[in-house]
Amino acid sequence: MVFRRFLARVRQPLVCGSAVVAISLVLSSCSQPVAEGPAAAPAIAAEAQPTGSSERRLRLMTSEQYLNTLAYVFGPNVKPDVRFAPLQRTDGLLGVGTSIAGVTASQMEVYQKTAAQVAAQVVNTENRKFLIPCTPKTDTARDDTCARAFLTKVSRLLYRRPLEEKRLAQWVEEAGAGADRLKDFYAGVGSALEGMLFNPQVLFISERLEADPMNKGATRLDSYSLATRLSFFLWNAAPDDLLLKAAEKGELYTQKGFAKSVDRMLASPRLEHGVRAFFDDMLQFDLFDTLAKDGSIYPTFTATTVLDAREQTLRTIVDQLITKKRDYRDLYTTRETFISPSLAALYRLPTTGGWVPYEFPADSPRMGMLTQISFLAGHSHPGRSSATLRGKALRELLLCQPVPRPPANVDFSAVENPKGNLRTARDRVTVHLENPVCAGCHKITDPMGLALENFDGAGRYRTTERGTVIDASGSLDGKSFTDVTGLAQALHDHPALPGCVVKRAYAYGTGGPTAADDKTTLDALDKQFAASGYRFPDLLRAVVTAKAFSQVTATPAAATVAAK
Amino acid sequence: MKSNIQRVLIASGAVFALAAPFAANAQEGQEVVRDRSIAYVMTMEEWAMHKTPGAKAECPNGMNEGPREQFKVLFPENGPKRTVVGTQLARESQIYFPEPEKENMPFKEAVGPVVPGVNLDGKIDADDFTNADGGKGIDNQFFRVIGCVSSYRDVAALMVTKWRVDNSFNRVVIELTDVDDLVNDPDVTVTTYRGLSPMLPDATGNGYMPGASQKLDMRFGKDFITSFKGKIVDGVLTTEPADYLMPYQALANISTQLFRGVKWDLRLTQDGAEGYMGGYVDLESWHAQRQESISTHHQSYGQESSPTVYKALKRLADGYPDAAGQNTAISSALHVRFTQVFIERPAKATAQAGSQNGISR
Repeated sequence: MVFRRFLARVRQPLVCGSAVVAISLVLSSCSQPVAEGPAAAPAIAAEAQPTGSSERRLRLMTSEQYLNTLAYVFGPNVKPDVRFAPLQRTDGLLGVGTSIAGVTASQMEVYQKTAAQVAAQVVNTENRKFLIPCTPKTDTARDDTCARAFLTKVSRLLYRRPLEEKRLAQWVEEAGAGADRLKDFYAGVGSALEGMLFNPQVLFISERLEADPMNKGATRLDSYSLATRLSFFLWNAAPDDLLLKAAEKGELYTQKGFAKSVDRMLASPRLEHGVRAFFDDMLQFDLFDTLAKDGSIYPTFTATTVLDAREQTLRTIVDQLITKKRDYRDLYTTRETFISPSLAALYRLPTTGGWVPYEFPADSPRMGMLTQISFLAGHSHPGRSSATLRGKALRELLLCQPVPRPPANVDFSAVENPKGNLRTARDRVTVHLENPVCAGCHKITDPMGLALENFDGAGRYRTTERGTVIDASGSLDGKSFTDVTGLAQALHDHPALPGCVVKRAYAYGTGGPTAADDKTTLDALDKQFAASGYRFPDLLRAVVTAKAFSQVTATPAAATVAAK
Repeated sequence: MKSNIQRVLIASGAVFALAAPFAANAQEGQEVVRDRSIAYVMTMEEWAMHKTPGAKAECPNGMNEGPREQFKVLFPENGPKRTVVGTQLARESQIYFPEPEKENMPFKEAVGPVVPGVNLDGKIDADDFTNADGGKGIDNQFFRVIGCVSSYRDVAALMVTKWRVDNSFNRVVIELTDVDDLVNDPDVTVTTYRGLSPMLPDATGNGYMPGASQKLDMRFGKDFITSFKGKIVDGVLTTEPADYLMPYQALANISTQLFRGVKWDLRLTQDGAEGYMGGYVDLESWHAQRQESISTHHQSYGQESSPTVYKALKRLADGYPDAAGQNTAISSALHVRFTQVFIERPAKATAQAGSQNGISR
């Protein structure tokens, strides 16, 4: 329904730069005939892969995906100031929320403005020389040949598949008409590009299906949709030229060709974009967009700290999981990280300028991601730490164990009385644990959150709270410990830790929430992940190689869009 | 006997303001005094003055007039026809090449008896001041000169601190070494450096983050390196005197200021330091610095007449007499505040490159 409302809005003529572009959209869900797949295309090592299927998705491109795609198509200099509307987190991921996103008229305006910015930058006198692959006969009139050369190249990358000739001809005509009206070839091309950049088929990642020749009656993503799913998962961007070529040749449905493309993508520096985006989503780092602390209580927690805290964890993840290919679980016990001048001041460590690698000493209380500022400050109150919020985050983000929301009629008076004798967080949460109404949930969050109490609400180390020595002992699902290093080890060894990242990676890659039907696939991925020694690149490979990644079923609600 | 800074801070209640924010931090597994050293970067400076509302107590005769007001007196509009050479340029020449014997404009001295600062000569002389806590022998004749000049008070004075923190040329770092105890230590060494790193403002916007790092300038900043022998008693650092050249950049104009016989008097904590840098302002260095850095613009808006001030400086100078017995420096004190930093020393090759190339200032 949300998407139908969007369609109803965008059926209206849209003003696009100086040209008026009328776009209409065609729903093509389960009623759309399924195209025949490439004949005799070999299946992907079926005997070794988890079986099952995922659902066909229609996803809205995120701001970062849009920017990453533009950076590839037009180079890093073409960088609009873009911030699309926030997405709804679903099943723990914004990436899943993209499949239920709607687009309002005001959002369309943002897309249109962004498209106008990009188009203007692409055709400006500085960039046109190398971004437009030909020189028109004259700058002041249409040149359909040159416009076609440019639009053919660009549309293939933006639409993530070659554009049908009829549609391409429409864009060429759009560029020509604009050039005639404005007496400017580049303005005409810019006008067509602008329309293309906020075309729903570009902004929405719409998957197309074909019959699966290896499984009678089953459907799978067509090659271009598979390339797109791969690319947005691994690179957080649209497919590049080589991947589209592989799709064009049908290589993605051959065992050798698919492996070659996946190997290339996993070895590419662009993998870092994908991994950062995934963990930024999984760890809910969008919270840093609005995170604020009381400056009078935490003067060392500045706006720079917020940015750097997020960056520190993402750098650590990329370094540990991609560069060094370490065991995923070691993220929670490693003392290796990176620090910036701002974070170094908060950690009270000397440093040099810029980001530098740093390893906390063996006797440091900093051990693993839980002791980084991002987790500690991100899951605290503006003016104090919170064992409950930290415990809840640990459960939900890292172990995929949802914690029930508190009842609406919670009485906080006992723990918020400033004149009370509750000096430490432990004293306060004990009140919760003594109240049967509260204890049910607090028992599953507080015992491990209390182990992080040696860090205040800004993530700074402390040994006392209001003059009382902090007791940082705790437990996690039967494992007791005396301090945060014990918690880090308990989390490292927790059986649900790897399973959670598997579940998130699969949902993120396929673009939808996991369901009971996915159990077989997830179980198989769990085993593959364990067998690889919990190497994250191997998990990524396992996810994309899983049958369910490419074998897709159309659901009644699914829809695709096509520009007329 | 309490030091000057103890007396002043206790009297003003500032000791509590200092202690509260500093005490809560300084913990990341270990103390910030590491390898027997701790360093601080200057975040605030202002001339130590006794200020009352409207300057009524210290300037009973009102504030001094500046170059514009003096020009109107010297060259009234209804006077005889004059030339540029005889008016503007003549006055301008007195700014850059002052002749005190020819300067006849009135000057209003600031008066005590209560003025902050440091007892620089260890004596209690007749013209010395008493600090707010009753401590006697405060040497701060400079206060008499600048106390009733607008450009040294209020908003104009804030600009000095802004320049101090905004310009890396001005970055003053002090390092305490041989520190066994930050509260009581009979023998420590204080060394001044110029830092190169930007400052890290804190979340309040009113302070700077302790624990930041400062890279030392061991090439072009060598002239700013001075060592002092000192001691810490009850958390207050005092030092023996030594000459200190201070970097001084206002806006884009770089300069330096020579202080003779500088003594530090600072209350120390793990997070910062506050107190006084007492010393004798070298007059010629001062005059040059003032013209190079502050310039006519600020002197005019700050009602600071350089020829008149210079004459007062010569008259009130109380230290470092030349061969003719004329004092060449005047006692002064800067109220200063520091935030703790970690020092980053440049690689030896970088430090040596400057001296090998003869680039050192």
